[in-house]
Amino acid sequence: MTTIITVTSGKGGVGKTTTSASIASGLALRGFKTAVLDFDVGLRNLDLIMGCERRVVYDFVNVIQGDANLHQALIKDKHADNLFVLPASQTRDKDALTSEGVEKVLKELEHQGFDYVVCDSPAGIEHGAVIALTFADEAIVVTNPEVSSVRDSDRILGIIQSKSRRAIEGREPVKEHLLVTRYDPKRAHEGEMLTYTDIQELLRIPLLGVIPESEVVLQASNQGIPAIHQKGTPVADAYQDAIGRFLGEEHPLRFVEYEKPGLLKRLLGGK
Amino acid sequence: MPRRREPRPAPALELKTTRFAGIQIILNSTEHAALNTHLTTLFAATPDFFGGEAAVFECGRLPADAAPPDWAWLVQELKSRGLNPFAVQNASGELAAAAAQAGLLVLNAAGPAPAPEPAPPTDTAPVPAAAPTRFVDKPLRSGQRVYAAGGDIVVLAAVSPGAEVIADGSIHVYAPLKGRALAGARGDTSARIFTTHLEAELVSIAGVYRTFDAAPDTAVAKKPAQIRLAEASQIVIEPL
Ligand SMILES: Nc1ncnc2c1ncn2[C@@H]1O[C@H](COP(=O)(O)OP(=O)(O)O)[C@@H](O)[C@H]1O
Ligand SMILES: [Mg+2]
Repeated sequence: MTTIITVTSGKGGVGKTTTSASIASGLALRGFKTAVLDFDVGLRNLDLIMGCERRVVYDFVNVIQGDANLHQALIKDKHADNLFVLPASQTRDKDALTSEGVEKVLKELEHQGFDYVVCDSPAGIEHGAVIALTFADEAIVVTNPEVSSVRDSDRILGIIQSKSRRAIEGREPVKEHLLVTRYDPKRAHEGEMLTYTDIQELLRIPLLGVIPESEVVLQASNQGIPAIHQKGTPVADAYQDAIGRFLGEEHPLRFVEYEKPGLLKRLLGGK
Repeated sequence: MPRRREPRPAPALELKTTRFAGIQIILNSTEHAALNTHLTTLFAATPDFFGGEAAVFECGRLPADAAPPDWAWLVQELKSRGLNPFAVQNASGELAAAAAQAGLLVLNAAGPAPAPEPAPPTDTAPVPAAAPTRFVDKPLRSGQRVYAAGGDIVVLAAVSPGAEVIADGSIHVYAPLKGRALAGARGDTSARIFTTHLEAELVSIAGVYRTFDAAPDTAVAKKPAQIRLAEASQIVIEPL
């Protein structure tokens, strides 16, 4: 059985691709055979974040249109065994990803024994984003601590529960997970941003994790190595915790509390 | 290459009757300055609240000899605020003629009347609720809308900001109501709205509506409440 995980948000620039790369890598590191698929036609950035852009020969649309087979198009990841990347196409035609075509590719991945397929969704609530969530078994809804991002996530949750195959066929609904990213505990504490509890109260779906805002993400993407490989950093640890929770483990939340620097205490040298 | 199976072609055009929910714009005056001022205050808090909603001008409350408003201007003003007026109802004489001239449909018009008739009743005939209750047990998210035609609706999960619950009868929300609730959508003034947590953007009963700014009445905000229509077509909100 292959589990299809769609990473979505409605809004752009919130960390979907960063999350897709790290979650897929993390699952593969734990021994699951995993594929990560870029649904963002026209914008090839998953391959950059995964550091495999130079090895792209065929893409998702080539496979759907029969120009290449899946085996030729899947790129084996350099940093994790068991991980394969299916890059996006640079075609301008946003409708090139048909639902029949996508379904065929997903069936083929299941046939090849993949445990997880992670779908990196484009922004928006139109064709591309809907195609990416059509076949989802689970959805990771990536949300930044801002009202507009929460509103977009709410909207995408409505779309998941009405347009996914599971919804249309009346099967068990897509399992929803909230992942808060780019979280700055200090700004949340000072009321400049929503807190993760505010967000959870607004969206009312289970919290998978909170990923802190960190420069590590940009550095990692410049190097083409998913952030989860930056061992010992809060971002990598937070993604590891999220993957653990996804697999049913219990982990307390980390990196969410703002701790005031004990300046006075330090000055006074108090114990 | 496998060819996609073509579905049997549907006829290019089909006709069916429909009842759709829209907004009633009740005119109490046709005077330009008064309309202009009121439009500004009415929409100040929620400038683009009505995302492209269809709307009808209700003229039944206007005095029989009211001069027509500048229909084209009025339509333009409302369009710029996300409402799409397309018709007038209970209008006659000069009022109706001017509306037709401005491209508006004239509903319930009894032909051009030589002498204006006395003002018809303020609202269209109420349609009492009769259909079975509709139940919704999943959250209603932003952008979603459910409509219980002819009856009541019971919602057992939260209604998000930007979501909309519409019923010809009453609305019961046993969860936070943060979106819009429109009861008595076809004119039933006895319809009511109930919720265990009132935080709505808008409530409406039989076309009489009220929007909320950031802070609604503290007695009921985020608390169980009942919303009904009082005698003078006034929205009344009471704690439960
Ligand atoms: N936890 C984070 N901390 C800091 N920057 C982040 C974080 N997550 C994502 N970013 C940055 O935000 C931008 C958008 O991220 P990306 O994953 O491409 O979002 P999306 O796929 O949703 O458009 C990128 O510049 C990325 O480096
Ligand atoms: Mg992206």
